[in-house]
Amino acid sequence: MRRIALAERPDWRAKAADCGFGFHTIDDAPYWDESAYYAFSLREIEHDIESPTEELHAMALDMVERIVGSEQLMQQLAVPEPYRDWIAESWRRREPHLYGRLDFAYDGRGPAKLYELNYDTPTSLFEAAFFQWQWLEDQLARGQLPAGSDQFNSIQESLVEAFGTIARGIARPFHFAAVRDSNEDQGTIAYLRDCALQAGIECGTLAIEDIGISEDGRFTDLDDQVIGCLFKLYPLEDLFRETFGPYLPRSGLQLIEPPWKALLSNKGILPLLWDAHRGHPNLLPAEFDQGGALPRGWVRKPLHSREGANIAMHLDDGRELRTDGPYDGPCIRQACHPLTAFDGHYPLIGSWVVGDRACGIGIREDSSLVTQDSARFVPHAIVEEARGVLIA
Amino acid sequence: MKRSRTAALLLMGTAPLLLTACDRNEAREGLYTSVEACVAQTNDSSTCNQAFAKAEQEAVATAPRFANREECEASYGKEKCAERSDGNNHSFFGPLMTGFFLSQMMRNGVAANGFNSAPAFRDSNGGWQRPAAGGASGGVYRGGTAGTGMVPINATPNRAVTTSRSGFGRSSGSRGFGS
Repeated sequence: MRRIALAERPDWRAKAADCGFGFHTIDDAPYWDESAYYAFSLREIEHDIESPTEELHAMALDMVERIVGSEQLMQQLAVPEPYRDWIAESWRRREPHLYGRLDFAYDGRGPAKLYELNYDTPTSLFEAAFFQWQWLEDQLARGQLPAGSDQFNSIQESLVEAFGTIARGIARPFHFAAVRDSNEDQGTIAYLRDCALQAGIECGTLAIEDIGISEDGRFTDLDDQVIGCLFKLYPLEDLFRETFGPYLPRSGLQLIEPPWKALLSNKGILPLLWDAHRGHPNLLPAEFDQGGALPRGWVRKPLHSREGANIAMHLDDGRELRTDGPYDGPCIRQACHPLTAFDGHYPLIGSWVVGDRACGIGIREDSSLVTQDSARFVPHAIVEEARGVLIA
Repeated sequence: MKRSRTAALLLMGTAPLLLTACDRNEAREGLYTSVEACVAQTNDSSTCNQAFAKAEQEAVATAPRFANREECEASYGKEKCAERSDGNNHSFFGPLMTGFFLSQMMRNGVAANGFNSAPAFRDSNGGWQRPAAGGASGGVYRGGTAGTGMVPINATPNRAVTTSRSGFGRSSGSRGFGS
């Protein structure tokens, strides 16, 4: 695994505009960054990332089976009581899910270590599945990458295929919903809707704020149609505590991601996985946080935290890092395994699972050890040639 | 190969691959419970507003009439009726308009000038109806026979009157995008 500088495609901004990728620059700061890419060998991809991703995914699903059978584990994960039966039922019925992203610390010199599972509202999807793919095709065509370069990225194919597989299990009308004023989230659901349409599924989009409730407790769209299935790019735990949350279990509304995903997007899954698979090469030691000072060599994360918010890190050398954010409540501790710097940048590997299959990666790079929403997306390639050839 | 063989976009790209479906002359009809819902569907706020105003105006004249509130509520539901007067000091009861019907001709995917609109009422069984075309109006009581002069609207059965919105989305300001 190496970080290699490469000239940008001169027309990438126009290409971004052409495909509706409007958030490549966020608050004047670059988000899409193709001034460099990460090069992997095929063995690194298949042996160190793809196969651990599928193994961990299977372990996580097994863990769901255990959690839904245990009131005590539900309690430990701080799942609100009124939603527990509904969540368990959604698992027993195997309500279809679409996707998830595992975040790994990986530098090519040892096993990838799982930081967390983003199994409810993973984003950076369009950039990984489509724009990164287009970057590779363009740079190959321009002769800027070694001939035969590839990419671990069949994400879009897998999405269309997964939608096709679950199509008959999706209640209609089917809507994709996200926060109205978030360009990034709106871009992500526009992309997912595009994939669903390609699978032949009729569907629409809706702002999450526009969802209505009827007298008899069913969820409606702007035309008072009762929504059959809602893909919500919005955290389940937030839905639970908002005004309409209590209607969910009896509304008949189908959700994607389904309610049982609340158990996997919860960082409490990390100590549970560690307990069940102690010493697994891709897991970091983890435990539920009982309060008190954070010892050296540990990281504290809230059960519900996104985008690297509210993380406390106590490094082995005594340094302490802390990020701000809106999250509080119960926490877990995870052994500190800092990201490795590449030319002063800290890459985090997001490994995608679509329809239960590992199908690609996207890399977010931050200038800090904690990957936050300011992290830039940097493309990658699989290259097998000798190093000398690579330096253009 | 570890990557998608091809990756194309249908709607997000600039090429309007799906617009051919609209390239026909046909009527676009809709039943809406608010101007907002109409605009969301048609993207035509001027027509939606006009249609709503026209329907509202016609609602009093064309709605079924009942001699008393109880009879009206039996057909249209509790608190769904209002007392009205026909201008000759005759007072009666009629259902409140709960939606409006809009129909437009489409030419090459664009709405042609002009539209038809009508008030819509929802009976206590949840069915939608509108006054029959050229529906009689006037000072004739139609007490007890609610629905006279009314025709059902073939609204999608899976429809429910929304009582409130904005019950989701409050937490959005507190987080960055996705995860």
